[in-house]
Amino acid sequence: MNDSVLKIENLTKTYKLGKRDVQPLTNLNLEVKKGEFTAIMGPSGSGKTTLLNIIGCIDKATSGSVLIDNVDIAHLPESQLYKIRRDKIGFIFQNFNLLPYLNARENVELAMELAGKFKGQRKQRAKDLLNTVGLSGREQHRPQRLSQGEQQRVAIARALANDPAIILADEPTGNLDVNNKQEIVKLLLDLNQKQGTTIIMVTHDEQVAAQTQRMLTLNNGKILKDKQTQKSTLSGNQSKAEETQEE
Amino acid sequence: MGILTRATRNLSRRKTRALVVIIALSLALTMLIILPPSINARQALTQKAINSLIANADFLKTTVTLSATEIQCDYTISFDPNTMIGHGTIWLTQPLMNESLFNNITSLPDVTNVIPLFLELSTANRSYQIYGVPLENASFQMDPTILPQNITQGRNLQVGDSGVVILDEHAAENLSASLGDTVTILGRNFTVVGIEGLELPRGANGVTMSLADAQAITNSTGQAWAYKVFADNIDNVNTVVSRIRSLDPKLEVSAGLSQLNTAQPLESQINVLTQAAQNNLNQIQGTGLIEISIAVIADTAIILFIMLYSVRERTKEIGTLKAMGASNAKILGQFMLEGVLLSVIAAVIAIAVGVFVLPTLASVLLPMPVQTGVGIGWDPNGTVVLQPGMVSFGKTPVIPGHETNFIAASVTPEIMLLGLGAAILLGALGSLYPALKAARTRPAEAMRYE
Ligand SMILES: Nc1ncnc2c1ncn2[C@@H]1O[C@H](COP(=O)(O)OP(=O)(O)OP(=O)(O)O)[C@@H](O)[C@H]1O
Ligand SMILES: [Mg+2]
Repeated sequence: MNDSVLKIENLTKTYKLGKRDVQPLTNLNLEVKKGEFTAIMGPSGSGKTTLLNIIGCIDKATSGSVLIDNVDIAHLPESQLYKIRRDKIGFIFQNFNLLPYLNARENVELAMELAGKFKGQRKQRAKDLLNTVGLSGREQHRPQRLSQGEQQRVAIARALANDPAIILADEPTGNLDVNNKQEIVKLLLDLNQKQGTTIIMVTHDEQVAAQTQRMLTLNNGKILKDKQTQKSTLSGNQSKAEETQEE
Repeated sequence: MGILTRATRNLSRRKTRALVVIIALSLALTMLIILPPSINARQALTQKAINSLIANADFLKTTVTLSATEIQCDYTISFDPNTMIGHGTIWLTQPLMNESLFNNITSLPDVTNVIPLFLELSTANRSYQIYGVPLENASFQMDPTILPQNITQGRNLQVGDSGVVILDEHAAENLSASLGDTVTILGRNFTVVGIEGLELPRGANGVTMSLADAQAITNSTGQAWAYKVFADNIDNVNTVVSRIRSLDPKLEVSAGLSQLNTAQPLESQINVLTQAAQNNLNQIQGTGLIEISIAVIADTAIILFIMLYSVRERTKEIGTLKAMGASNAKILGQFMLEGVLLSVIAAVIAIAVGVFVLPTLASVLLPMPVQTGVGIGWDPNGTVVLQPGMVSFGKTPVIPGHETNFIAASVTPEIMLLGLGAAILLGALGSLYPALKAARTRPAEAMRYE
């Protein structure tokens, strides 16, 4: 729990929109430790997605530094960035964003194919991962034949495929009904606790956020609140999750 | 599940659209595949016609020029008094000319060449006539009044030939001889090396051999039936004629100057036809080139637009791929492969279709080659004339060695490979810009795109 997997210093992001600039992030500082499950909350337009995109190397910081595993990605060229995305980051989106012409297993395999893993290796790991997210037996199904909750599970399996340093989830439960929502949160909590996966999750849902270890609140491009919600022990998390459900 | 599988899956995602695009592409590619062989065939055909016309023109020129400076001289032909009594048939006879006359004519001023011709007419006991040809005189190889021109079997006489004969069809029949047989002519054996088809202007029942042979078997060494005398130029023809007449008043001397008058219009007629054929050739090339360009542009443009549309439609997918760590090169490759795949599928269809529709489509797409031609022939008097339709496709031309046959175009394996290669190239070309656009997509914006 000591080594930080993410360290952001003085991060500013400015969008130039003609004469008026938009600055969703202003001198933001943040450190996330390995194995932490962090929730980011904040009003719409407060820069949550922007922050996640910059950490995920799909958007560029205007200034400041962003260190992932001690590499400052804020100053890397695209020829290096795609490797960070491939090897260090796992994205989970609100709309799942599975490739519709690939089945569940192939969607997971694609991430590994991009990383140059061999076919046999890929197939087995994809099966194992789908098993982990509770989708054994559904490997051959294309996204349109899966429920929304199941699609998000495939997306989670895909995000885990290359054993990334950080999982970035932008409102992963935003499109799900109450039952599916809790299932997905449980799955993420499980991954975090059993496998020590570092997760940063944007959510508008306080109940969801409350089940994590750390809750950040963004406002006007800055971190307004940074709250440790509970102990990071396995039992603590589980009891908390149960409590929430009872409410 | 490699990049190719993904490309194929993507195409089959929108089946109707893919089908329409492939049909459009294969139309363009069919044109592209059938045009080059069709143009080649038509070009070759027209070129052959042009070559034939040019050969005719050259031949005409030399023949006419020669015959215009030509003077024929011989003794008057008369009835054979020995055959006039007691026989149903009257036979002709003509005195031979002696070698001293040959030498006298040869040494006349303004005379360039004297060709002795030999003819032994048929008699009551011998149905065939014997022709003796001065084989060493190469300038008369094409003159049908001297050397047979219509050899149907075997070969013609050659310089140095001796002991061999050419029989025309009648003579062969009368002698019951065929190619390769040995026939006895006036007591001497000859091998039949060629059979001559019957054709004017030489009379039927001819046995043709070398001049020396003909003179030897008729015991008339040094003698000739007629001389062809050539003046050094057209202006001197009349002078030479009177000089020959003064050598022996009994000689019949005639000049072929009148040939000149027919030569000019014939030549210009051939020139007009040659020009028409040349224009036809240019037209075929021009039309073909325009159509090939249209096919190339159509193929490329269809791929360009469909791939641009596809890239736009799949912005979010591209963003996702990038977020997953796909490099720009990988995305470029993926989209270019899809464009190439479309083009290649269409090319395979186009090749299959092209094999069947080539003759029909080619005649729709390209101008027809010149179909009629003009050849050179001889009228019954041995005068050179232009004969319509003698050099035309599928027909036998007058001048041997200038046959024009129909040339069939077909989709050869080379054309198939070239077509496939072109399809790959055009597919890559058409999808390059869309694929670059896909590769340059900014993922953060793509993810916000709805
Ligand atoms: N490409 C862009 N160009 C200009 N402005 C942008 C761009 N992307 C985002 N913004 C602006 O940056 C600000 C922050 O946007 P962001 O998407 O990070 O907010 P958010 O916190 O994720 O909001 P929400 O909860 O609605 O998803 C917004 O004002 C938005 O309009
Ligand atoms: Mg957002």
